[in-house]
Amino acid sequence: MRFTLAWLLSTAVAIGALAAGTVDQSKPKPIWARNAPLPRGFNVGEAFPTRALRSAVDGRPVSVADFRGKKLIINIFASW
Amino acid sequence: MDVPVWHAGLEQLEKDGKVAVVAIVEEQHPDRARLFLQWKQIDWPTLADPLDLLNLETVPLTLAIDEYGIVRFSELPMSAAKTIEQTFVNQTYPKPAALPPADTPDLSALRAATTRNTADAWRAYGDALSVSGTAGTWDAVIGAYQHAAQLEPGAGATQFRLGSAFRTRYDSPARRPTDFQDAERHWAQALAIDPNRYIWRRRVQQYGPHLPTPEPFFDWIRDARAQIASRGETPLALAAEPGDSEYATPGAGFVAANVPATEPDPRGRIRRDRGEFVSVETAAVPSTVSPGDTVRVHMTFRPNVRTKAHWNNEVDPLVYWLRPPRAWKVDRRSGAVPNAPTAVSQEARTVEFEVTAPETQAPGAIAIPGYALYYVCEDVNGVCMYRRRDVNVPLEVTATPKETKR
Repeated sequence: MRFTLAWLLSTAVAIGALAAGTVDQSKPKPIWARNAPLPRGFNVGEAFPTRALRSAVDGRPVSVADFRGKKLIINIFASW
Repeated sequence: MDVPVWHAGLEQLEKDGKVAVVAIVEEQHPDRARLFLQWKQIDWPTLADPLDLLNLETVPLTLAIDEYGIVRFSELPMSAAKTIEQTFVNQTYPKPAALPPADTPDLSALRAATTRNTADAWRAYGDALSVSGTAGTWDAVIGAYQHAAQLEPGAGATQFRLGSAFRTRYDSPARRPTDFQDAERHWAQALAIDPNRYIWRRRVQQYGPHLPTPEPFFDWIRDARAQIASRGETPLALAAEPGDSEYATPGAGFVAANVPATEPDPRGRIRRDRGEFVSVETAAVPSTVSPGDTVRVHMTFRPNVRTKAHWNNEVDPLVYWLRPPRAWKVDRRSGAVPNAPTAVSQEARTVEFEVTAPETQAPGAIAIPGYALYYVCEDVNGVCMYRRRDVNVPLEVTATPKETKR
């Protein structure tokens, strides 16, 4: 392993953060690599799934198809 | 987290009516994502997918969908937020010859289809029930997925959905004491079937032993609440508060105050509560442990609703003490749960600790004995008591290491 200056600095910062009992929330989390192709409906040229999901606000069933007629950006995430 | 980046890039386009943004949340408690959006002052319509009905392997994932519902860009990187107006919003797309209709599941037809008794039919019925919002749904959802899992035990998606349904019922008024442990068991089965599923892995990690390099789960919630309150707003209430395992760094609620340094009732003289006033349930994550490995135990005490039992908060808090078998290690052999700020309260009180099996432990069932001491009152006769509740945390030791822990 090559111990570059950048590696040493980042390690020192990480150890410092751990010693202080804190975790740096401002750093982007690692993006996990996908291991398999996306399911049907998530690839370019396919119709996005119309399966209803629950609204996170009031629990009623809502489908992305309910938003048809508008260009959409769909952001799928988790807050963890 | 790419959400604030996308918000910054799309805010003006949204205001101009050129594009809409829909969030889909892939986590067990979607209200936490809503709190996150409130913190970042983002008002996107938000759909919840706690059961991973979309069958996704990992998050985040951002897609651009045209006005006809066709995917035009998939797996958009954050950098695309700056160029999306030119590359997507201002583009014209052809109308397809036929569009799939919105999926409004016909519950009675799906129920009738289960008479064929196939795993697919039961799973489809469970899926539809889980989004229907019908009262008493989770018992039926669990029942449907159990049928599917029985017919096709190797289907990871069914196992994961069953686990998530158990956990959802656990967080509801219809909860059963074994729901949490059942949830973990099925999540672990799902991950054993397909260990590449990051969303599934995170669900197990969420409640499991702290990772060697702590990656924050919900530590942001403390900052979010403080900043929302400083704006003069009320932070959204959460249906289930994160537990100790869900924070990378312990919070004030877990500070070791009033922790007994020596065994508080070594001779067992405190009168027992055998469930009349407080029930206890335990869940180990993962549900099995191999020699030399560690599990995280969640031990929850709940005042008995039938006797209208409640905590007496004007005295010492609940304390617990564990007596692990020889050579077993426990990171918090004793602990205390702080009292609520009110004179009395009825909240569930959970303690968490990590247990490490000896390298030489033989496979089989084992129990970690211990007990809790607490002050409890009941409303039937208005009597307050100091009681001891004995606990045996059941664990199963397996010979082979599991792949679900990291």
